[in-house]
Amino acid sequence: MHYLFTYILCFVGCLAISQNKQILYGFDDIPQSLMLNPGLNVTQKKHFGIPLLSQIHFNGGATGVTAYDIFKSGNDDINDRIRRKIFEMKSSDFFTATLQLELINFGWRAKNEIYFSGGIYEELDFISYFPRDLAILAWEGNQDYLDYPFNLGEISTTGDLTTVFHFGANKQISDKLTVGARFKIYSSMFSFRSVNNTGTFTTRLGGSDSENIYEHIVQNADVTVETSGYAPLRDLDGSSEVTSEIFGRALFGGNLGVGVDLGFTYKIGDAWTLSASALDVGAIFHTKDVETYRAHGTYTLDGINLVFPPLSEGESTFPYYDDLEDDIAREVSVDTLNTTYTQFRPLKLNVALSYGFGRFNSSGACDCLNMGGEQLYRQNVGLQLYTIFRPRGPQLAGTLFYHRRVTNFLSAKATYTVDSYSFKNVGLGVSADIGIVNLYLAADNLMSYGNLAKAKSVSLQLGFNLIFDEE
Amino acid sequence: MNKLPLYVFVLVSTCLLFTACVKDTDFDQAEAISLTPIVELDLIYFNLQANRFFDSINSNPILTVSDTTDIRFLDDSSLQEYLKRADFYFKFTNSIPRDFQVDFQFLSETNDTAYVAGTAVSQGTVSTPVLTEFTQIVEGEDILRLTQANKVVVSVTIDSSAQNLEGNLNLKSKTTYYLEN
Repeated sequence: MHYLFTYILCFVGCLAISQNKQILYGFDDIPQSLMLNPGLNVTQKKHFGIPLLSQIHFNGGATGVTAYDIFKSGNDDINDRIRRKIFEMKSSDFFTATLQLELINFGWRAKNEIYFSGGIYEELDFISYFPRDLAILAWEGNQDYLDYPFNLGEISTTGDLTTVFHFGANKQISDKLTVGARFKIYSSMFSFRSVNNTGTFTTRLGGSDSENIYEHIVQNADVTVETSGYAPLRDLDGSSEVTSEIFGRALFGGNLGVGVDLGFTYKIGDAWTLSASALDVGAIFHTKDVETYRAHGTYTLDGINLVFPPLSEGESTFPYYDDLEDDIAREVSVDTLNTTYTQFRPLKLNVALSYGFGRFNSSGACDCLNMGGEQLYRQNVGLQLYTIFRPRGPQLAGTLFYHRRVTNFLSAKATYTVDSYSFKNVGLGVSADIGIVNLYLAADNLMSYGNLAKAKSVSLQLGFNLIFDEE
Repeated sequence: MNKLPLYVFVLVSTCLLFTACVKDTDFDQAEAISLTPIVELDLIYFNLQANRFFDSINSNPILTVSDTTDIRFLDDSSLQEYLKRADFYFKFTNSIPRDFQVDFQFLSETNDTAYVAGTAVSQGTVSTPVLTEFTQIVEGEDILRLTQANKVVVSVTIDSSAQNLEGNLNLKSKTTYYLEN
């Protein structure tokens, strides 16, 4: 058990609002910024991501707790620290992790000036809210919590392993406006979710007319776990079989879904630019290998009522324990359903307002980063807002940024982000072009790099592309 | 080729990746993590009428009545591993004007006696029932024996009986399980 606990905490500690790529958004020197706003001003003629290396994105975090909070060196007992944290944390705190690995990414500007782009990426996305009451029950037991209704509704978690195939188009339709859209096909390899649960568990001291000392009451319980892709894994033997079965579904073998990304960039006057995007407006239709487990009901447990029946020699008494189990199973039934379900993708919204100054290429040298022919600024400052819709509602993040084209070949973007995790998230991204090879690296929460154990969240993106500009 | 961007990129990447560290932490402390919940759970209960101790057909007293129930969670391998102590609490309310001896015999799956406990219960009257409380704390070696059991035989012995005996013997009981991993 404590290994599990350790793994969870290490996972959290070593790992920004999940999926927020605030550094990459609007960073037009990097082709992958087109994945965050299909309506971005594209500066290159074509690009080709180095397969498997064009974007490696990792993002993880936890609100309310860091690895340092639990594992800091000190003389106090680790169990006291865990206990303190369990009581400090709220049921709205969450743990989250996202991994994205691009398999292919490419794009080119066609003769009609539309920039087409497409590719495939794998995405692992996980979130779990902190089930505080159940953590207290597991840590402390019920002895000190008589009459306290432990809330089963605090269970809220989702996890998905998905392959995404995408193809998009981007066009500057006037001097001021660029729009874009990306069509996506999702192939869900594995998915689970347990949300919108209800119910309480209470241990109450019985009165004089009660059957026994306590009444253990499960009240209006309705806990559901929906899974897809899990049922065929149950009978497999060993992790290698499970892995090969899951990844065998990567190419359209899973449950399919569709979605779109939409975005635009609009220039307001000479210096101001407004951009926005909506990502993953879509759903996955889980129709095969679907299993839903649902436990629901109300039950009061009093213990076992012995009736001392008169028995003949060799006759056995009532099967009290079996009857009790049957009663519980009848009153709080656990059903396995194969009902298909539709899962909406976590919708993400980005909005940014930026102010550009200092004409780039004022020296008259080759304007290699500006093949669209429009004005690029040497420096941009602005504000970005990000929202992702999660099971308990939207999570918000606000970012102030500074983007500078240092040379024709080098650009950098610094960010300061306020989100659910912290008020001191500073990030930095660098994009460098060496010949046609573009390298980029973006990481946030830099102030925590001195001691990652104190970081509530870490986000990292890096990748390699080939970028071809017009001669 | 201009190598400057490469140098800057490598420099920034190096700064990012190699200054990152985890310090002032001791992950070996994970070994010391220990969950120690204390769980309160009802056990058995009964209501025995005084006439249960007399066979009115044959006019014979019945001095001992017994009943058995499985408690299959008790010899579960997880409980065997994590249970450190169990406090049994029995609360008798007796309105029968007789003393009783109540014994609890915990049996293993093969019906070997794993653990026994018992108590005397004081007599009461219908108008003034008498309360007898009995707590049995099981720990140490006894826990190993107790968690071999998966059923309990409850025997209720009356010191003497008669046809016109009135009242009833009520039991409520619970167990406090001290778990630790």
